[in-house]
Amino acid sequence: MSRRYKMIALLLATVVMATFLGACSKPVQEAKEPKVYRTYLTVECPILNGHDSVESALQTPHDYCSSPLYRVYPNEDGQGYHYIGDLAEGMPIQVDELNWQIKIRKEAKWHNGEPINADTIIYSWKMLLDPILANQMADFLSTGSITIVNAKEYQRQGTENTVAWEDVGIKKLDDYTIQITTAYPNTAEEVCAQFVDRSTFPVYEPYYEKGMNESRTQTTYGTTLDEWMGCGPYFFKTWEFGNMHVYEKNPDHWLADLFHYDRVEVYVVPDMNARVQLWEAGKLDYFVPDATTIDKYINDPRMVSYPSLSVDHIDINCKNPTNPISGLIEYRKAIYHAIDRETLARDIYGYMKPSGTYVNGQAGILSPSGLLYRESTYGQEVTAMVNEWGPHGYNPEMALDYMKQAFSKAGLSWDSHTVTLQWIYEGSEAEAKAAGEFLQDQWQTLFEGRIKLEVVPTAGMSATQWKKTGDDKWDLSPNLWTRSLSRKFPYMCFYYYLSTYGTAPNNYFDPEFDAQYAVCDDPAIRGDYEKILEETAKLEKIYLEKVIHVPTVQRVVYEMFSERVKLPVSRYIPGLGWGTIYGDIIE
Amino acid sequence: MIIDRNNLPEDIRNLPESSFEIVGTEDIRDEAFRTEPVGFFKDAVSRLTKNKLSVISFWIIMLIIASSIIVPNCTGYTYSEQNVAFKNLPPKVPGLEKLGILDGTRVMTNRRKDSLNDPTQFPPGSVIEIVKEYSHSGVEMVDVKVDFYRMVGVPEGRYHWMGTDYLGRDLCTRLFLGARISLIIAFFSVVTNICIGIIYGACSGYYGGRVDMMLTHFAEILDGLPYIVVTILFMLLLGSGMVSIVLALTVTGWIGTSRLVRAQFYRFKGREYVLAARTLGVKDRALIFRHILPNAIGPIITRAMISIPGAIFSESFLAYIGLGIKPPNPSIGILLSDGQKVLLQYPYQTVFPAVLISLLMVSFNLFANGLRDALDPTQRGEV
Amino acid sequence: MLRYSLARFGAMLLTMFIIMSLSFWIIRLMPQSIFENPEVAPEVQKLLEAEMHLDKPMVVQYYYFIRDIITKRDFGRSVKLRPGMEVFKVIASRIKPSVVLNFFSLLMAIPAGIILGTIAALQRNKLADNIISFLVVIFISVPSFVFGSVLQYTFTFKIPIFPTLYDASATSFRAMFHSLTLPIIALALGPCATIARYLRGELIETLSSEFLLLARTKGLTRAQAVVRHAFRNSMVPIANTVIPMITGIMGGSLVIERIFAVPGMGGQLVQSITVGDHFLTVALLMFYSAISLVTIFIVDISYGLIDPRIRVGGGK
Repeated sequence: MSRRYKMIALLLATVVMATFLGACSKPVQEAKEPKVYRTYLTVECPILNGHDSVESALQTPHDYCSSPLYRVYPNEDGQGYHYIGDLAEGMPIQVDELNWQIKIRKEAKWHNGEPINADTIIYSWKMLLDPILANQMADFLSTGSITIVNAKEYQRQGTENTVAWEDVGIKKLDDYTIQITTAYPNTAEEVCAQFVDRSTFPVYEPYYEKGMNESRTQTTYGTTLDEWMGCGPYFFKTWEFGNMHVYEKNPDHWLADLFHYDRVEVYVVPDMNARVQLWEAGKLDYFVPDATTIDKYINDPRMVSYPSLSVDHIDINCKNPTNPISGLIEYRKAIYHAIDRETLARDIYGYMKPSGTYVNGQAGILSPSGLLYRESTYGQEVTAMVNEWGPHGYNPEMALDYMKQAFSKAGLSWDSHTVTLQWIYEGSEAEAKAAGEFLQDQWQTLFEGRIKLEVVPTAGMSATQWKKTGDDKWDLSPNLWTRSLSRKFPYMCFYYYLSTYGTAPNNYFDPEFDAQYAVCDDPAIRGDYEKILEETAKLEKIYLEKVIHVPTVQRVVYEMFSERVKLPVSRYIPGLGWGTIYGDIIE
Repeated sequence: MIIDRNNLPEDIRNLPESSFEIVGTEDIRDEAFRTEPVGFFKDAVSRLTKNKLSVISFWIIMLIIASSIIVPNCTGYTYSEQNVAFKNLPPKVPGLEKLGILDGTRVMTNRRKDSLNDPTQFPPGSVIEIVKEYSHSGVEMVDVKVDFYRMVGVPEGRYHWMGTDYLGRDLCTRLFLGARISLIIAFFSVVTNICIGIIYGACSGYYGGRVDMMLTHFAEILDGLPYIVVTILFMLLLGSGMVSIVLALTVTGWIGTSRLVRAQFYRFKGREYVLAARTLGVKDRALIFRHILPNAIGPIITRAMISIPGAIFSESFLAYIGLGIKPPNPSIGILLSDGQKVLLQYPYQTVFPAVLISLLMVSFNLFANGLRDALDPTQRGEV
Repeated sequence: MLRYSLARFGAMLLTMFIIMSLSFWIIRLMPQSIFENPEVAPEVQKLLEAEMHLDKPMVVQYYYFIRDIITKRDFGRSVKLRPGMEVFKVIASRIKPSVVLNFFSLLMAIPAGIILGTIAALQRNKLADNIISFLVVIFISVPSFVFGSVLQYTFTFKIPIFPTLYDASATSFRAMFHSLTLPIIALALGPCATIARYLRGELIETLSSEFLLLARTKGLTRAQAVVRHAFRNSMVPIANTVIPMITGIMGGSLVIERIFAVPGMGGQLVQSITVGDHFLTVALLMFYSAISLVTIFIVDISYGLIDPRIRVGGGK
């Protein structure tokens, strides 16, 4: 090689090496930040406007950087929680049976110093309920633990002008007092609970109006940090979309003494492996392992667990034209009994609990007595009934029997016909796929080869969209929709399976089931929790008899906190969680 | 001088052979051919076999193909046989286990020290040694090396050469069956791509002008279509199966080849032998396929050989985003994407498919190099 | 040449328009409802759909789409991924990390690839060539995410010299680059190997041709002959590979970006299709096809520049 050639090569090599070496040396260490709490989100929060986005990731920045009317706060003994007024001063005052007054704190102000008063709150709620804006989260203000008079009607009216804003039960009494009118009698706690979701938090009018388009159907409020204003105990200092959030303490906040972190860093980490590494390297203070990593942490003393709000279940299509047995109840019963829930829960889902019933393990925890439905005599009765059939309802002989009955009812001969069932799953759900493969194998032997299960991915769309591709050519679809209101009213978890729910995931409806739900939902018995439990048990029994869908696994939430974090409560408290926002860092 | 037989006078036309006598046979200076005439392909094959590296890689490819046919039937397990209690077992090979590698042991981290004495968690004989001790929140923890097979209760004499997956299925069987399926998908899609690409590119490059412009535009439009969306549509219409994946891979896959062929044709169509052949009256089709194409075939073959592992990659990407073939059928792509999710916990689930696909890549590459050298008659040493 | 370029440019615009329309129709054909969260009442969902004209027939929707583009240059707003934001602003906000990442990885890959390819060609079948060829094949065949995961594990966890994730809030260029080093390396390996192997192949072919023999007999040293003559001839197929790499730097890499939490373009397309963010999907498709068309355009022009034999227009 000639000299010139060698020199060029050498020069290039040096450039490459220099860049590499330059990158290798550590950047200058900053002075150590005291009290930084580091957590993560698995998906980025898409927008900061709480009115129109259903993503749960929005709750984190709002909890820290914005202020609600009322906050949940842990009790002294660490065993429960109560409400404190944040933007509101004191508790709501009951004027009469259906009217409440909320006083706004005089020192409440936005992060830029401007004051917050009754006009701010009323403007925010007016926009939330605006019929033209059609915000997705509007129901969180109009219904829920309390129902505000005419709120839902106002919001749902679209372009017709039947309900005026004046008819809605939200009124300004003076600059710092709001009066709300409810449809049914409530307690003060129920009123406070209504305003915990971020959709009811205040929005900053100048930015909201500035981002509004001409037809007033949409606003760009909250799409970037410049178009949003906070008022909470932390400033939203940095928002690197898709990468991280940084919140810094706001010392001027009226509740500043309750919050101990100086800084909060929220990383956006979609990849599980990266999360594991961050946790292992001590860079995260909070971590939730999934089915593949749970093995490693199941014995770890830092791990805490509690039953989740979700009970995984399988929706069954009863109208598949290519499946001769799809409409028969014997077929559904056969599926129900043919699932080995224990193996499924332990090995496939990773240390979850099997469940032959549907009402979840947190149902009833927010009721006045705190008695869980599953622990009440009524709930236990249903559980016992299921276990009589087999461990969590698993009984291969019964399943085989029912399936044979289904075949003969459909006019198929057991010895010569086979039926193919389609199990659809979303590409991203590894457990749904594994469960399908597991059942595919099991049912080969269980049903003597007469039932073939095909495991089909829903090519790049969600299961709900797939089901709409017409022709209804699917049979079984694992699902984990749940309803947080079931914490208060256990029967509410069945809401999506009523024939009145527009986008039901299932297509089997039963009038007896609907009728019993109406009995549970009757405002007349709303105050009698014992009666509600009794009626819920009846509802669950009908659900099991008719096999509206098939429950499989009660999910268990596993969480880990690093040793630096001192939590204000000693156990998980539904409604409050762990109170991490009030925690402290001890080194 | 052209002699028109029918215009000769009668008597000359019918002269017998015996009237003629050869003059001057002793002095023929011309030499007879000493060697046999060799056709183009025979020439290529002989050059190919002389290249040691190509021969080795060819046999490796054959070995892999043969294994993909034979091995799944020999392991004693089927590709879908599940045993959920035996999930995620580390590899264990009889013979090698005595040397301490691939012996079915694993280091389990983050175990409580007192749980080591618990026979339900750690059956007797399963704990081999404690690797590290530390503590969390005041509780003593250890990293311990265990005989995982014994711990889970796998009967003696049951081996899994490449371990098991998340449902307890033997990975060796799945890997080789997956290789079979992947190779079939790749082969069909590449062959289709090459055929369409050659015809399309040849027409485009040979005819040039307006025909070329139209054909190229059409190809561009098709190329602009998003491959992912098209794949999803195919899966929707045809269900997820081998056919729809092959189709999805071919819909836009031929465009690259056609561009290459077109460029090659532009290079060669101005050559003198083409002009000569055309002057002689050779038809277009023969010109394309018998004259220009064999000369242009070098990079095309190379590209084809490279595309085969490339098709396996595309299929792996599809599996990663959830559009692979139907479970429980394995393919290298599915195994790679399943393995990547647990890369740090169970690396062996990725290592084996990665090694196999690397081996395939290496062999196809070297073989392609050798093929190209063999098929290119201008390869006669270097300056 | 100029007339040819203009004609090609015009054709490109036409192609873009066709692709845009095709994308629109194909996306809308996919059965999707944008709003389907159980917590949102069905009546509200219907209102929202009406707002976006989703309840009208396809042709009407297409009309609105084209009208908005022509009169207001409004390509729509993202609905799910960045609600309310104009789609091209969404794309613009995510381009920067991908561009930086891919730019630096190409900056490393191209010179390295050229050098390695040349060495391998010149030392053909000797030790250097065999080592390089072997490495090249490893880097091409093993998927980049494996390298990414392994690098992340080794150099951020076992031997912590790099941060685990991309640090978007870093103020100094040096700190940002520091957190981006591993993804850059992981991404550079593939292109480097591809360039090396193509260059090796082409160079070997060129090295045995006659004009090179002439150059040598004229008295040029081997190096001079290679650099001045052989390179230019070998560049043609290389251009075919390298130019798409360069224009493709805005595309992003799905898995690497996910592993290192780089908020780039990588997963955008798949994500927007999966969640049903129609306007964003169409905008992304147009963006990618624009890149692709520009690439083809440049490659074709470059063919003409580099190799005078391939000037388009020649007939039979």
